[in-house]
Amino acid sequence: MFRLRFGFIIIAMVLSVFGARLVQLQGLDPNAYAAMAAAEGIVKVELPATRGAIVDRNGVELASSIDGMMIVGDPQMTRAHAAEIATRLADEVGVDYFTVLDRLRRQDTRFQYLARRVPATLATRVVRELTAEGYKGLSTRRDPMRDYPADDVAASLIGFIGEDEALAGFERTFDEQLSGVDGSTTYQVGAGNRIPLGENTTVNPVNGQDLVLTIDRDLQFYAQRVLAERVREVKGESGTVIVMDTRSGEILAAADYPTFDANDPLGSPKEDLGVRSASETYEPGSVQKVLTFASLIDAGKITPRTRLEVPESLRRNGHTVRDHWSHGDIRLTAAGALAKSSNIGTILAAEELGHEELYDYLSKFGLGQHTDLGIRGETRGVLPAPETWSAIRHATIAFGQGLSVNAFQMTAAINAIANDGVLVSPSLIQGKAVTDSGNEVGTDTTTRTRVVSEDAARQTAEMMELVTDAEDGIAKVTNIPGYRVAGKTGTAQRVGKDCGCYDGTFTVSFGGFAPADDARFTVYVMIQNPAKGYGGGSAAGPVFKKVMTHLLSKYAVPPTGTPDPALPVEW
Amino acid sequence: MSSPLPLSRVRVQRIAESAVERARLSVVPRLDPHAPRVPFVTLVSLLLVAGVVGLLLFNTTMQQNAFANTALEKQARELSDRQQGLQMELDELRNPQRVAEKAQELGMVPSLNPAFINLSDGTILGNPVPAKAEDGIDVRPPEAKKPAELDPAPLVIKVPAQPEASADTDPASPDRDAAAGSNDSSSNDRGDRSSQ
Repeated sequence: MFRLRFGFIIIAMVLSVFGARLVQLQGLDPNAYAAMAAAEGIVKVELPATRGAIVDRNGVELASSIDGMMIVGDPQMTRAHAAEIATRLADEVGVDYFTVLDRLRRQDTRFQYLARRVPATLATRVVRELTAEGYKGLSTRRDPMRDYPADDVAASLIGFIGEDEALAGFERTFDEQLSGVDGSTTYQVGAGNRIPLGENTTVNPVNGQDLVLTIDRDLQFYAQRVLAERVREVKGESGTVIVMDTRSGEILAAADYPTFDANDPLGSPKEDLGVRSASETYEPGSVQKVLTFASLIDAGKITPRTRLEVPESLRRNGHTVRDHWSHGDIRLTAAGALAKSSNIGTILAAEELGHEELYDYLSKFGLGQHTDLGIRGETRGVLPAPETWSAIRHATIAFGQGLSVNAFQMTAAINAIANDGVLVSPSLIQGKAVTDSGNEVGTDTTTRTRVVSEDAARQTAEMMELVTDAEDGIAKVTNIPGYRVAGKTGTAQRVGKDCGCYDGTFTVSFGGFAPADDARFTVYVMIQNPAKGYGGGSAAGPVFKKVMTHLLSKYAVPPTGTPDPALPVEW
Repeated sequence: MSSPLPLSRVRVQRIAESAVERARLSVVPRLDPHAPRVPFVTLVSLLLVAGVVGLLLFNTTMQQNAFANTALEKQARELSDRQQGLQMELDELRNPQRVAEKAQELGMVPSLNPAFINLSDGTILGNPVPAKAEDGIDVRPPEAKKPAELDPAPLVIKVPAQPEASADTDPASPDRDAAAGSNDSSSNDRGDRSSQ
């Protein structure tokens, strides 16, 4: 009996110790203990989502994600051989010798970044070799990197990403689609290996989706080089070339100069990192006459053969308007006024339309409106409201001064003439994508609006063919033998950055399409502030011709073989 | 349900009292105490050993698999790194810049006169004209203009001119010499532009 009782007492004491411990563990601070238990032998690994690539229309990667590595070092172990290690890293990985030497010798730390974003194969090979040679204290870690295989090709459109976030261009605008969602996995390890049947939870990462552009990389490359060469030749400030597929509105190339190397954006000034063709507005000049004449023909006010008596000068509201060449009283047809780019002829014809009517036409051509390409910081340009127009305003707007546009708007407007009078909204994204401001853009959202009748568009195109005529055209250089090419030059006075007035510099441009009677491509070239003596045809024309011939042979567009319309210029 | 039990017991006693008295005295036949125990013990031990060994083997295999898994994952990672490295090399080789430069080295220029041969009847569409050397374009990438902070203006130190030499010296020339002397070609360009 005594033994039994004694046994019970012992058991009761042991159980109460257990009970007290239970209260301590579960009652007082259960979370801290749970965390301690979890930390013991449990590893959590981030599973980074792979960033989607940006590819061109043929699937060629313009921006791709690759598994990079960082090389990190423990200065306590590397100090002894810092010079040798730094030499090797500087030679093989291309880091700065002195910076790395300094880091390898730090006293107060056991962790230093030596090289970031190194291709994985290179990083592992270098570290393996160095370790094998007896230089301890180096290791590699995952460090995803973004590579732009074509360097500066389409760099302004694609943009770039910084250490942690997308900083510019499509990388930033479509970051949500491209970046995806990171996942993670948690598991128990023993001696460096995953314990089978151990605790294990995995949240799979959702990889980013590719962004497909309408750009053709090789064409974009060619356009950029041709433009860069020409802008330097004519000593211009900057320039733009835009190539648009006439029927679909897809932008095949959009080149800006100067631009930057997407792999080294910090090597270029900040003002070169954007898309000039969308963010910069300028007065279009005489290229605008194409839109004016198309509107006039559509409204039934003129035909290409309408006879105009063009005086030496014209006074409107106390301002005198002259032509770019001096002449006495001459007799030009409407086609001749466009072909010779006569301001006076254009004004005389345009006065057949009221302020409201001309405004409506230009507005339907897309001037003063967003193109919704998905480019950050696109400006709308300025098309003044018709109530504010005076006679001189009406006159200057008719020949392309006193309103401002961006290069994409102008390309789309000329393309409407090429596309039988139907304005196709331009797009840079295949399919559709949502910008960071919630807009849906892309070829799926393309809109088509009739601006002028098919007949008016055809007649305007025939008038534009006179400009590129090999013998009498004012831009002979743009003639492509065998093909019918429609085009128009533009030389506009430019508003200076400082004074807000015309400062004596010019914006020269050339827009056109080929084949004129069955257009496939519209090419628009604009160069800011070329040296004195260069006009739209002489400065921008050669770029137009080189890009257009490249297009016609690359996409195998044969000549249509139809005869030239041969409209009369004078009467 | 306990209340009916005494009743039934009483009833049984009442019905077969003599038989119960007799039965109480009979001897229960004994079971054979020498039944062989060995087979049973062997069976249990075998099951035990088999279970333990099986579990051990199972665990070992799992561990082996885990090792193999880790090794193979590492190999896969290395191979995919290698594949990416090669892909990058390939991209570099396919880069239009490189192709264009190679073509230029070979003396090739883009044609400015597109023409086509219709293979079905051999007719020529367009005006074929041999390309000329001057049709070529400079395919080298334009040298990037550096941001102001990476491209400081050349430091100009004006040395007071000697009285006899100063008579025919252009005042701008020391500046221009300083610009030309700096090793940076982009600052040269800018120097040229500003002088226009």
